[in-house]
Parts: sequence; C-alpha cells; structure tokens
Amino acid sequence: MNFDAPTIDYAGLSPIISLTAGLVVVVLVAVFDSVKRFGPALALLTLAVTAGCLIWQWGTEADLVAGSLRIDGLAVTLSLLVVVSAAVAILLSRDDPASSQAGESDYLGLLLGSVLGMVMLTQAQNILTFFVALELLSIPLYALCGTDLRRRESLESGLKYLIVGSVGSATLLYGLAMVYGGSGATGFTEIAQGFSSGGPDLLDDSLVLVGVGMVAVGLSFKVSIAPFHQWTPDVYQGAPTPITAFMAVATKIAAFAIFIRFFLVALGPLIDQWDVMLAALAAISIVVGNVGALAQSSLKRMLGYSGIAQAGYMLCGIVVGTQAGVDALVFYLAAYVAMNLAAFAVVVIHERRTGFSDRIASLKGLGREDPAVAWPLTIAMLALAGLPPTAGFIGKLYLIQALIEGDWTWLAVMIAVGTMISLAYYLRVVATVWMRAEPATDPGPAAPGGGATAIDSGDLPPVIAGAAPDAFEDHGSGRRWYLLGPAALGAAVTIFFGVIPQPLVEFAQQAGNALAPYIS
Amino acid sequence: MAIEWYLVLSALLFGIGFAGVMIRRNPVVILLCLELMLSAGALAFLAFSRMLGNQDAQVMVLIVLVVAACEVVVGLGLVVAMFRRRLPLNVDEMKELEG
Amino acid sequence: MSAATWAWLVLLFPLLGSLVIGFGFRVLSTRTAGLLGIGAVAVAFFCGIGALVAIQGEPSDSRYVASSLWEYAAVGNFKIDLGIYVDPLSVYMVMVVTGVSTLIHIYSYSYMKSDVGYHRFFSYLNFFVFSMLVLVLAGNFILLTVGWALVGFASYALISFWYRRQTATDAGMKAFVINVLGDVGLYLAAILIFSQLGSVDYETVFARAPEVFTTNEWTIVAICLLLMVGAFAKSAQMPLHTWLADAMEGPTPVSSLIHAATMVTAGVYLIARTHPLFDLAPTAADISALVGVITLLVAGTIAIAVTDLKRIIAYSTMSQIGYMIVGVSIGAYSAGLFHLMTHAFFKALLFMAAGSIIAAMANMQNIDRMKGFGKAMPFTAAMLVIGALALAAFPTTSGWFSKDEIIDYASFRGGIYGLMATAMLIGAFLTAIYSFRIVFRILPGPPCDEAQHLIDTGEVVHGKPVNPHTLEPEDTDVGYPGSEHHIAEQALGMKIGMSVLGFLALVGGVLQIPGVDEVVFNFLEPTFADSELSHIHPSTSESWLGLGKGAAISVAGLILVWFLYMKRPAIPPALVRRLPHVHALLVNKWYFDELYDFLIVNPVKGLGRFFNEFIESDLINGLTRGTVYLVRTAGAGVREIQTGLLRSYAVLMLFGVVAIGLYFLIRSI
Repeated sequence: MNFDAPTIDYAGLSPIISLTAGLVVVVLVAVFDSVKRFGPALALLTLAVTAGCLIWQWGTEADLVAGSLRIDGLAVTLSLLVVVSAAVAILLSRDDPASSQAGESDYLGLLLGSVLGMVMLTQAQNILTFFVALELLSIPLYALCGTDLRRRESLESGLKYLIVGSVGSATLLYGLAMVYGGSGATGFTEIAQGFSSGGPDLLDDSLVLVGVGMVAVGLSFKVSIAPFHQWTPDVYQGAPTPITAFMAVATKIAAFAIFIRFFLVALGPLIDQWDVMLAALAAISIVVGNVGALAQSSLKRMLGYSGIAQAGYMLCGIVVGTQAGVDALVFYLAAYVAMNLAAFAVVVIHERRTGFSDRIASLKGLGREDPAVAWPLTIAMLALAGLPPTAGFIGKLYLIQALIEGDWTWLAVMIAVGTMISLAYYLRVVATVWMRAEPATDPGPAAPGGGATAIDSGDLPPVIAGAAPDAFEDHGSGRRWYLLGPAALGAAVTIFFGVIPQPLVEFAQQAGNALAPYIS
Repeated sequence: MAIEWYLVLSALLFGIGFAGVMIRRNPVVILLCLELMLSAGALAFLAFSRMLGNQDAQVMVLIVLVVAACEVVVGLGLVVAMFRRRLPLNVDEMKELEG
Repeated sequence: MSAATWAWLVLLFPLLGSLVIGFGFRVLSTRTAGLLGIGAVAVAFFCGIGALVAIQGEPSDSRYVASSLWEYAAVGNFKIDLGIYVDPLSVYMVMVVTGVSTLIHIYSYSYMKSDVGYHRFFSYLNFFVFSMLVLVLAGNFILLTVGWALVGFASYALISFWYRRQTATDAGMKAFVINVLGDVGLYLAAILIFSQLGSVDYETVFARAPEVFTTNEWTIVAICLLLMVGAFAKSAQMPLHTWLADAMEGPTPVSSLIHAATMVTAGVYLIARTHPLFDLAPTAADISALVGVITLLVAGTIAIAVTDLKRIIAYSTMSQIGYMIVGVSIGAYSAGLFHLMTHAFFKALLFMAAGSIIAAMANMQNIDRMKGFGKAMPFTAAMLVIGALALAAFPTTSGWFSKDEIIDYASFRGGIYGLMATAMLIGAFLTAIYSFRIVFRILPGPPCDEAQHLIDTGEVVHGKPVNPHTLEPEDTDVGYPGSEHHIAEQALGMKIGMSVLGFLALVGGVLQIPGVDEVVFNFLEPTFADSELSHIHPSTSESWLGLGKGAAISVAGLILVWFLYMKRPAIPPALVRRLPHVHALLVNKWYFDELYDFLIVNPVKGLGRFFNEFIESDLINGLTRGTVYLVRTAGAGVREIQTGLLRSYAVLMLFGVVAIGLYFLIRSI
C-alpha cells in the first residue's frame, strides 16, 4: 500500500511553531521556582522569534497544511502587527496586579495562546481553521479579562465577554454551516468556485444569504461593529488595562484579517449581495461609536466607543472590495496599532499613579506635571481624530480615496461626518490634559472605600469582600521605561508615518498584492 | 429522511438556545444554552455534510465539540470565581458597568 | 560635497537654531540663545560658501543642480517634491541673505539684550532666515509658495513682536493681509502654470514655456501679471505698499533684516528667477518696470516730507526696490541684483544707525527733535553718514556703481526705457535730498536735550517708554527694551555689525566697476544666459558717462541740502507754509491709506457686520445648535441602551440578526 507522507512546509509554519513552543515553555517555567521570574522575558523572546520568522517569510506565498492555512502578504503583515501589540501588552503588564493575581506564567501563557490564535486566523483559509483559530483567540481573552480579582468589574467583564462572545461564535458557526451547505466546500477558494459555478439561483438563495449574514454578525461582534457592540464599553472598562489595550488592537487586526479573507476571497462572487449590508453596518457603527463617546467620563470607556467608530471606518475598506480598499484598511490598522497603544500606555501610567482612576477629569493638569506622559496622549488623540500630520490622517485619507474610487462616496461622507463628531471627545481629552489643575486637587487616597474626601468614592471601584483593601499605586509610573517607552514610541511612529507615509504604504500594499488574484 | 428536517431541528435548537440566553438569569444555565446553540451549528454541518457527501464537515463537528467544551470550562471557571467571592449568581445583578 | 548637499545644510541650520532656541527657552541663558542664533546663521553662511565653491567648480553651462529630498505627494500627473534648485542666482541670494543676517544677528545680540522676549526674538529671527532660504532655494513653484507664505508669517510674528502694543499688532495684521493678497496672486500663477505647462518644477517649466507660448499670448501675460502681484506685495511696490511704513513698529533689527535686506527683495528675486516667462511676455515686463518707476518717484517724494526717522528710511527702501524692480524687468538682471546686494549693505546699516539714535532718544523717532548727535555719538554718526552717502549714490560708494548701472542700462536700451532712465535720475536726485536731509538734521548743530545728557553723563536717557504715535505708556512686561536702551557706542555687538556693513557699503562697488571687472555679472551669467536682454551691454565709456551723471546729481543734492539746512535754515519751513497742500499730500503718504480704507476696508467691515448680525447669529448659530442637540440626544440614546444588563445586550443582538436575516430574505424574493 502506498502511503504518501504529506509535505510539511516548516518554513511557512515557523511562526506558528515558534509561538506554540514558546507558549509551552512559558507555561512550564512556572513549575520551577528558580526560573519563574524569567517568564515575561521568555514571552517577549518568543514574540521576537515569531516576528523573526514572519519577516523571514516575507514575500512567500504558499498554502500550508493541505490548503487550510496560507502564508502570504496579508498574513505576514497583519501577524507582525499582532505580535507588536502583544509585546507592548506584555510590557504594560509588568508589575500589573492582574498578572500576579493570575499567576504570571499562566497569564502570559493565555496571552500567547491568544496570539497564536490570531496568527492562525490571519493565515486561515478553511472554515475549520477559521473557527478553531477564532475560538483560540477568544477563549484566553475571556479568561484574561477576569484576572484582576481585586475588582468585581473584572470578573463581570470576563463573564459578559464570554457569554456575548459565545453567542457571536455560535451565530458565526451556524452561518458557516449555511455557507458550507450552499457552496459544498470548506476551503475558501473552493467556496468561491462553488458559488461562481452554481449559477445565479445559488447566489440569491435565501439560506446562503442568511448564512452570510450570520457570519457577518459573528465577525462584527468580534470587531465591535454596531449593533453588536454593546459588550465593548463594558468589557474595555472592566478588564485590566493591558488586556484592554491588547484586545482593542489585536482582536481587531486578526478579525479584520479573516474578514478580508473570507468576504473577499470566499464570498467574492457574492459581493453584490453583502456589500450594502456591510456598508449599512459600517455606517451605523460610525454613528453609534462617535455619538456614544461624547458623554463618557471614563477614559477607557470612551476609548471603547471610539474603537467602535474606528471599526466602522475600517469596515469601509472591505465594503469597497478593491485592492485599494484592502491597502487602505491595512494601513489604517497599522496606524491604529501605534495610536491606540500610545493612548493605552498613558492610561496605564495614569491609573497606576492615581490608584486606578480612569476618569477623564482626573487628567487635568497632566500637561504641566508630566509633559513626557501628556504629549503621547495628545498625539494619540489627535491621530485618532485624524488630524494632520499624523498617520491617522493619512489612513483616513486613503480610506476615503479608496471609497470614492470605488463609487461609495456616501460612505466617505459618513467617515468625514464621523470624524467631525469625534473631534469633540478627542479634543476634550487634549484640552483637559493641558488645562491647569486646581491647586487643591489631591489625586486621591490609595485605599478605596476609605474616607475619600478629595475624590468621591464612586470613582474608585468597589472592593470585593475579602480582597486586600490596598489599591496598587505606583507614583513613579511615569518614569518606567516599559510604560513610557511604548507610549513615546507609539506617538513617534504616528508622527513619523504621518509625515513620511511611504514606507507604511508599501507595507500595506504587501497585503493588497497578496489578494490581487482573488479580487476582480 | 429529507434534509430539511434536520435543518429545521437545528434552527429550532439555535432559537431555543438564543431564547434561553435572553431569558434565563443564572450564568450556569446560560452556559448550557450556549452549548445548545453550538450544537445546533454542529447539527447543521452534519446535515449538509450528509447532503453533499463531503466528509469535511464531520471533522468540523468534532472540532466544535472540543471548542465548546473549552469555552464552558473557562465559563465555569469564571462562575466559580464569582461564587467564591460570594457574588450573586445572577446576570441581572452584574451591572456595575453600564452607560 | 556637492552643491546640493551644501544647500540642504544651509536650510538645516537656521531651522535647527530656531527650534532649539524656541523650545529651550527655559533652559538657555540669554547669552547662549543669542550665540546659538548667531551661530546658526553664520554656519549657514559658510555652507553657502561651500555651495558657491561647488557650483563654481562646474563648467559654466552646467552650473545648476536640482535636488529632491522626497516626493511628498503624487496625484496623477501632479508631483510635489521637496526639491531645491541650486544655481548661481540662488547661491547669490543665499550669500546675501545669510551674510547680512549674520551681521544683524550680531547687532541684535546687543540691541535686544534687556528685552524680556529675547529668546522668542532669536527663535523668530532664525525661523525667518530659514523661510527666506526656502524661498530662494525652492526648486518648484509649490515649495516657493511654501517659503513665500512662511516668510509672510515670520514677518507678521516679528512686526508684532511687542504684542501688547496696539499699533504693532495692527501693523502686523496689515502686513499679513497685504502679503496674503500677494500669496493669492502667486497661487493663481502656479495653478495657471501647471494647467498650461503640466508641471510646477522650475527646470521643466522654463524649458517648456517657449515651446508652448507665443510672445505676448494672453495666458503668459496673465501668469506674469499674477507673479507680479505676488512680487509687488512682498516688495512693497505700489499699490500694495502701504504695509511697509507701518511695519516699522517692529524692533529695529527686524526693520533692518526684513524690510531692508531680505524679505522685500523676494519680489525682485521672483522676477529674476522667472525671467524666462517674463521674456515671453514683454508687455508684463514693461508694466512691471513702469510700476517700479512710479513707486520710486512717489516714495521718494514722501520721504522728503515725513519726519519719523524710521519711516523715512522705509520709504527710501520702497524707492530703491523700485530701482531693482525696474532693473530685473528690463533685462538688467545682474545690475538689479547687484543693487539688491549693495542696498542690503547700506540700508541695513542705516537702520542700525537709526536704531542706535532712537535708543539714545528714549525711543522717540521724530527727526525734528533730534539735533547734535554728531558730537554725542561719533561712531553712530559716522555710520549714518556712510549709509547716507551710499544711499545717495555718492561717487566711490557701492551705491553709486550699482544704482547707476541700472540707469545706464535703461538709457542704453532707449525708447521708453530712456524715459524711465530720466525718471530714475530724478528719483536719484530725490534720494540724495532725503538722505542728506537725515544727516543734516540729526548730526550737526547744538545738541538736543537727550544728546546733551549723553555727552554730559555718558548715559542714555531713561524715562517712561511711551508709544511715539499714540503716546500711551508701553507695556514693558512683555518686552519692549525695558528701561535699558542700547546704543552702538556702548555695545560691542552693535559696533561689529555696523562696522562690517559700513565697510561693505563703502567698498562693495569694486565688484562691478565698468571696464575693470564684472564679478557679479559673470557670476550670474549662467542663470541668465538664456535671455537675450542680458547680453545687451552699454560700452565702458557710456557707462562712465552715466556714472558721471549720477555723481553730479548726488553732489548737487548734497550741496542743495547743505545749503537749505545749514546756510538758510529758514527756507524749508517757509516752503512748507507756501505749499501747504503739496506738503499735506506728501506727509500723508499720498493718502493711500485713506483711499484703501474708503474703497476696501470699510466696505468689507460693513459686509462683515451685516453677515454677523443676520446670517451668523440667526441662521448659522441656529443650525449649529440644532446639530449639537441632535448629536447629544443621539448620544444619550446610545448610552441608555447600554444598560449593563447582559440579557438586554442579547436582545439587541437578536434584533440585529433578525434585521439582517429579513434584509436578505426580502432581497432574495
């Protein structure tokens, strides 16, 4: 009996292999006391090796594991962004009580597991890998959200995320079943073939379209597109901030990667059916996200709503369905990584300084006290609002350009309107930071629930019975390299690519080129 | 049997699960309903696999079962953590985060 | 290193200087800031020399290089890159700008010493030099416009430097508004150039223009007229000249740098640079020359009558720039640019000397009250005399050679240009009159009170500083050389700056002695080789004849003024009484300001008020408030559905799924 051993493309699989190996090592490290403290360093090493493997694979286009994964420009570029986000998240988690509560290696292990899921998701080319990777991405995140055991909100956010997330995944699964039934295959390219050879009746078949809709729902949930966005503000506020930072950025990247691949490659023939639906979802997100952020007094919540709006902008890149749209989307994702991580790094610094207050009003006077921390936040806010000379502006410009070229001018107008509304809340943060603080303000006592006179105790989270009554405070947090570094780097990158966009444009075009054969 | 029946069954299961998520207040029961929804999806896969004569989806079902189990593990872990801290096991009571 | 690299370095250092001084104002001492400022511009000067050497090292028909740092945007055919163009003309301008700027920075080091805004001053001054260098080094019309606009902004910032002074801020705004008018002309010209020639890059435009346009075709004339609008606004030619006199509100080094040597010469540079276009539109060139002639005459007449020292010098600047404009418009490019350089020397010197005297007068600027400074401030007096001699084109000074070269060329070309030459000679006579008027009013005679105080005590008069025009007390908190005024005799920086300029004003003429050498002409030859007009040359003997005429006029003016002010001092007031209307016309600057107020300013203000009362407050405010209300309510709505209850989230998700499902079901029916 002849037995053909399958060919294993180790080079192509190297990012996944390195991540898995690293994951195992990091989890095992907890067993041995002598090496326990190397956990974060090992995790960062893993990420570095993964990034190295990805760069090594730059330019290759190959199907791996019998067509269920594909490494190409899209996968490599977006995986690199995910790895960078994870590295920053690990840096921000240092000394964070959440990671020590959860057991540091376990925390890092979960994080790496999530990263593994994300990297797989960017490479997924088959319904099976799609689902597995998506769940691998999400489940560790559900757990990570709940790790900050001192705060009740953290557990609440974890459970909420899990329940709502699973509803989304189940919807996604059902939709995938419909698509499979309609096309007869599980690989993306085969699905596309199945649809295009099925004749016009198939393209209009109600079950198939409902399936497509449900897949869109499931993915929209992941990237927080309205009206499936409601978990976002709650979970962002409740989760430990480094995890929020990671979620806000990396989940979107990975989910948009599969969004691109699935909708443009697998459902390519159906584009006339789903583009209006996605456009409507994008428009609703832009409105809901921007309008909801206006009255927020909590910075993390505001960033959550702003993320909803940003996801709306990004979805426009898929709606237009051209290579320019994909390029613009990937550019915007890269810029989004820089701006958002800078903002969240500053939030972490501020929280640690003030004993976990993320009220926008408590930022008053930051500009005078600590300009090194205030400037990255200002630049991040301006970039998110899309003001020149930041990368956010260039990103929006490319998106609008792609939309207009693709005859979706009304969406471009929506982006512009959304940007105008968003100026209100972004600039409000900037103004607060640079205003003078009132002389009598004392940034709050450490003990929550204690006789707080300067800040009303409604600001500080209620303590769970039995947890230690001391909040984590670190007044020197503005000086820590692992916190200030990402903030400054993010801000610098934002400005750099805002003035000289060319290198990032070429980076984004790698992704677009990889999809060129599939996009009409 | 004609395949439509299986699809109707899976749709019903999905609907019941979704309704359960909306109606029930105990987190453990909600996790059960989630299981139901995932199983509905798996059933749909099986039905189509039968119709098309393709084996891929049957692998999918196995995967779905495993994933569902992992999800529930994590969910139950969170529920236990809540229980240990004597928080009420009632999703309606979980509204610290709102607005 | 190549010329392009040197040129980029020339741009880098003033920008760095400006940023470092600007951001480091808390940590840098005044001394360091001043030295940094001087250093930045001085280094730029040396890099300019490097570029000069590099350019001269090339054979003469390839003495140009265009270098681009990166392509900023490319939309279809329209490419904008950050590109410079280094050729003899730009290197010449770089040398003049950086050289004179360095001397003025050295002067300011001492002059502004007790000013509260010292760091701000040097930061702005460096930034101005940077912008001017961008303007002259730009290699395409877009970067030119950028430099043009930045120069306008820097000029605004420096004129209103003492920002609590109402007159200063008004003057700054006036200058800015008129500059913007010029900017608009420049933009429109650039747009027209792009639409007709398909590029904004100098090399491409100048090569294609002769192929695309026939002589005096209306499009090329329009382009040149628009360029002229820009040039005239920057160079304060009529009718866009009203801002220059008011710009004297700024500190004296500002007047010296911007309004004598650099910014106002930008228009001259522009016409010289775009000479291939003007060659194709002789009509526009003639109009330009005509405007130059009118300006030089009118400005000269005003300078004879006004009594504010700095304003006399300002009108004289206007007049001399008129000469330069005539020069570059009729084809005497190197002559016009030579006059640009010598004018930079003696005009900057005159302003510096004026600054010294005004400081001694406790910031009073009326020459009727100044007397006897010859005895009280010998060094300043000597510099003033040198400056006045050069301005009046007295024989052997640099001004003599440069101004008369332009007049020679004009008369050589004959025809209408000969008439212009005659007008320019009349203007030269007027120049001599007002130059020596200054000298003979301020220096000789019994010392006035302030001068006497200086002689007696060796100290400058103090006293509460008062705005000379409105007589309000000055706000010394914000700046305004506080209670200390610096005069050249007591400040080394001022002495150095003025001496070097005095030297250059006297001997600068050696560069272009007819029959002996033609340094400037030969240097600039490669740039202007493509113009036929630049090859027309009066002969040596004709040139010397012209120089003789100029000398005669200058000496005649000197004698006349000496007679009127020293021998028969009763005559000038009698003249004023006899011709009250003429005098009023001249002193009120030919009523241009009033004319503009009537024609433009008041109607626009009225229109603004109308729009504010009716359209803004009712219509637009209403719309804005309505939108805000709408958005706020929507926001409140979004937050209300965010109940925190998990089950309600699930319900909304259900609605979403159902909506999408229904959409698809309805579609497929």
